[in-house]
Amino acid sequence: MSGKMHEWKFGKKRWVILAMVALGVYAAYIGPSYLKPISPTVVLPAEPIWRGLWITNTMLATILADILLILLGISAYRFVKSGKLVPTGIYNAFEAIFEFLYNSVEGATGKWAKKIVPLVGTIFLLIFVANMVKLVPGFESIGWLEEAHKGYGYGTVKLFSIGGLPVYTLDKAQRTAIQNEDAAHTEEGAADTAEEVEHTGEVCTVCHVIPFFRGSATDLNFTFALAMIAVVMTQVYGVWSLGPRYFTKFFQFGRLVKGGVFGIIDFAVGFLELILEFAKILSFSFRLFGNIFAGALLLSIIGALLPVVLPPGLYLFEVFFGIIQAYVFFLLATMFISMAVVNPHGEEHSEAHA
Amino acid sequence: MEFNDAFVKAFQLLGAGLAMLGAIGAGVGVGIAASGGVQAMGRNPDAAPIIQTNMILGMAFAEAVAIYALAVALIIIFAA
Repeated sequence: MSGKMHEWKFGKKRWVILAMVALGVYAAYIGPSYLKPISPTVVLPAEPIWRGLWITNTMLATILADILLILLGISAYRFVKSGKLVPTGIYNAFEAIFEFLYNSVEGATGKWAKKIVPLVGTIFLLIFVANMVKLVPGFESIGWLEEAHKGYGYGTVKLFSIGGLPVYTLDKAQRTAIQNEDAAHTEEGAADTAEEVEHTGEVCTVCHVIPFFRGSATDLNFTFALAMIAVVMTQVYGVWSLGPRYFTKFFQFGRLVKGGVFGIIDFAVGFLELILEFAKILSFSFRLFGNIFAGALLLSIIGALLPVVLPPGLYLFEVFFGIIQAYVFFLLATMFISMAVVNPHGEEHSEAHA
Repeated sequence: MEFNDAFVKAFQLLGAGLAMLGAIGAGVGVGIAASGGVQAMGRNPDAAPIIQTNMILGMAFAEAVAIYALAVALIIIFAA
């Protein structure tokens, strides 16, 4: 009986998928031009969600991921407090993830795992949830219309209105290139007045979209902040473990006094270690940013070029890469912290730090 | 667009493309890391978790070079 049930469900899903593919083909190749996907405008810095406001769309997406994570955390906490020993449903996944993270950290740092897991686990979960939230449809595509100042702009078609709020879409047929950037700058005043008119109901003529939400990791500020936290906390853990002695890794004055020629070399190597700490911040932040930004760019460009067959596969690819990048960030942070907490001259004191 | 601007823009894009040549080395590096990791796992399946962790670490370091190249290319296109 269950087999028959399963067959029926499979058939239903197949028809749904077929209908969606047909809809995609219609929208991309046959239908009116305002349904066709437009090639994306590549914007490197995050845009403010409202003119003049300091909240950017990547911040909004990060806050969304935070709220999701906090809700999940609260519900997991309530589940643990309820006293049930066998986890079910989503708590099972939580337990699996946590066990995996804890075992990885314990393998690298031994008895320090209990103190390190809260930090690196939080970083992993935040990057993971942010990368998954980024893939929700509507990210980077729904937003305010604004006058385009460079590159290309599109005309608009009114679709419908929710209450008093009209909803527009960009029309691929009405594509206009903005030729002269200098001219656009001299017309800035005029453009500003056009914006003013927009508030009273008029729309811009050559438009692009300022999205409400954009993936957190497509903003260098997000990844740079995480990298700063990871590297600064590495020093904190080092001092926690070794005391002020930790900084002798960077400034080896003892070796300089006692070690002769090799002491001088060791002293220089200490300075290199100091530079390496700053290089860590750069490599951490650019690795995550580069991967996720390139992924988002790839999705939107392929979505414009070949909108029917390829994007689902690429979405799967992005899910995979979101997990891998979160794991890589987590793993590197763990490794650096574990290198900081063990004594660099441990063999002299014969301390067991395997 | 003036001829000079078009000239500068063309070389800017060319430079960004050339900057991505750095990805060749990273691709080779990631391939070597994966090959070594898979061979090691085939010889000693019991040690697979440790090998996997170190393999992914090595891949991340190799990939970092490509990411630097990407950052340079993006800076050339958007910021320079």
